[in-house]
Amino acid sequence: MIERSLCVVSDAAQLQSLTEFLQQFWNDAQLPPAGAFPFELALEEVFMNVVMHGTHPGQPVPRVTLRLSWDDGQAALVIEDDGPAFDPLSLPSPDLNAPIEERPVGGLGVFLVRELMDEVTYQHTGTLNQLRMTKSLK
Amino acid sequence: MNVTFETATAATVARPQGRLDFGAAAGLQQQLEEVIAQKPAALVVDCAQLEYVSSAGLRVFLVAARAAKAANIPFIACGLQASVREVFDVSGFTRILEIHADTAAALTHLGTPAA
Repeated sequence: MIERSLCVVSDAAQLQSLTEFLQQFWNDAQLPPAGAFPFELALEEVFMNVVMHGTHPGQPVPRVTLRLSWDDGQAALVIEDDGPAFDPLSLPSPDLNAPIEERPVGGLGVFLVRELMDEVTYQHTGTLNQLRMTKSLK
Repeated sequence: MNVTFETATAATVARPQGRLDFGAAAGLQQQLEEVIAQKPAALVVDCAQLEYVSSAGLRVFLVAARAAKAANIPFIACGLQASVREVFDVSGFTRILEIHADTAAALTHLGTPAA
């Protein structure tokens, strides 16, 4: 069992250091390199949703905590923020069959995360949004 | 991210390298829009050196493909690595974009066999 966490302010400029933290964890835990992609993607999608939609006007910028763990063949990525309560899993799925002119340019991020991860769960505890994503690695 | 461009009679080929994430998306989108504004015969985005794409990166492909279509410029993506391909598949982009194996296949499709 390996666990690590990092706390940052909700700011797009933090995406690179969060990604590097994940990559370092991946190397140190000696996880298969090809398995990192969906976790890097999930980190970007969920973090950027908090950055772009997770702040109330006039309220302090939320803090975001990234928690990574690896245990018994399963990697877990947990992202917590203290912004307004919001369940990203409540968003509707995009219409994948719409023609190119009608495809909305947004709304794909959370859908990709749900598709690429084995399991995604949301809970709101106290003042924290918590999104937990897990995937088995071969 | 670095992007190289190669312009020939048959098409302009764009080769983005590395990670197409939130931070890189706006820059690539602007570069592709500038290429489309020059009315190339076709625009091929060769993804052989593209290691990562997120929804912000998919948006760049969608916006560029739409702009090209509106200008009657064929738009082709090619050379997708496995993980990038999976993102295109899951999001349905392999159905709305024209995708070929590599630049040579894209140029053949456009009617100009690679020399």
